[in-house]
Amino acid sequence: METDNFEKQLADMTKPDVKGLKHEDMLATAIINARDKSVVSWWWISVPVFIILMLIMKSTFMPGTTLISAMHELESSQKYLSLIFFLISPIIMIIINAMTVRKIHFLSGSPKSINFLETIWFNVLVIALSVLILIIYSL
Amino acid sequence: MDESDLLNRIRKNPENFSEIFKLYYKQIFGYIIRRTGNFDDTADIAADTFLKAFRNIHNFRYTGISVKVWLYRIATNEINLYFRHKQKHNSIFEHINIEDNSVFKNHIAEDRKEIEAELLRHNQFLSILNELKTLPVKYQEVIALRYFEDKNNKEIVEILNINEGTLKSLLSRGLEKLRQKCNHF
Repeated sequence: METDNFEKQLADMTKPDVKGLKHEDMLATAIINARDKSVVSWWWISVPVFIILMLIMKSTFMPGTTLISAMHELESSQKYLSLIFFLISPIIMIIINAMTVRKIHFLSGSPKSINFLETIWFNVLVIALSVLILIIYSL
Repeated sequence: MDESDLLNRIRKNPENFSEIFKLYYKQIFGYIIRRTGNFDDTADIAADTFLKAFRNIHNFRYTGISVKVWLYRIATNEINLYFRHKQKHNSIFEHINIEDNSVFKNHIAEDRKEIEAELLRHNQFLSILNELKTLPVKYQEVIALRYFEDKNNKEIVEILNINEGTLKSLLSRGLEKLRQKCNHF
């Protein structure tokens, strides 16, 4: 069979068609009423944010203390906890948010305009803060 | 109808999303059934496509691609995920609340009966689809859009977000591979 003939055969053959779907209206109602269940809850983020705010407060109000020294003080007393808060959590947040931005870009119809930034500003902010924590921790 | 008007109305009142359903559900369902050849998987993928579209319609910006192309794009992505992780596929109907589940199941059963009968009336199509499904997904999507959905180059390029040169080369290589597989017909 030549490619041209095969192409014609593909184009000309009859294909199954969908004439009507009885479940359509009920599905539409169910989808419109469906609530979004986000995996990343605010409660999950609040713990590391609380620790970082505490360290910032300490470095601001305690004389002779900087954010870096406060972080390293916590590191020496709580080695594994500080690893989770200042290394593992920021890396996870960067990965989750980068994947979310990619997903939003696709599901927004891949917009090329500045409008897209309005949608993803929060994800970009979380990525920037996570990078900042990683930089401070590595100093 | 002006799509940007419809999008604005949906942003003001999400219930207007039902208009998107009325306009495109049948068409997208048809596209998916002609890719998978299986009613239950199609119902799942179509529902997933529209759920994703509903949850992201507020992010959709009217920048040249139409809602129809956008839905085709989401559906194509969902179909690709289905082919990649078929064993892990969970039914979406377990996660959304259907008001009257028994009525819904009856409707699904009736639709399944009708669609499966329609599939059986197209033996030649099913044989070719079975061979097509053995090819890599990149060939499946261009061949299905061109020959099963009757889309032109411009539409396929928009749906798949690829350039025309890539499309032409995928089409020609894919057709050749499919032709070799279908030689015994």
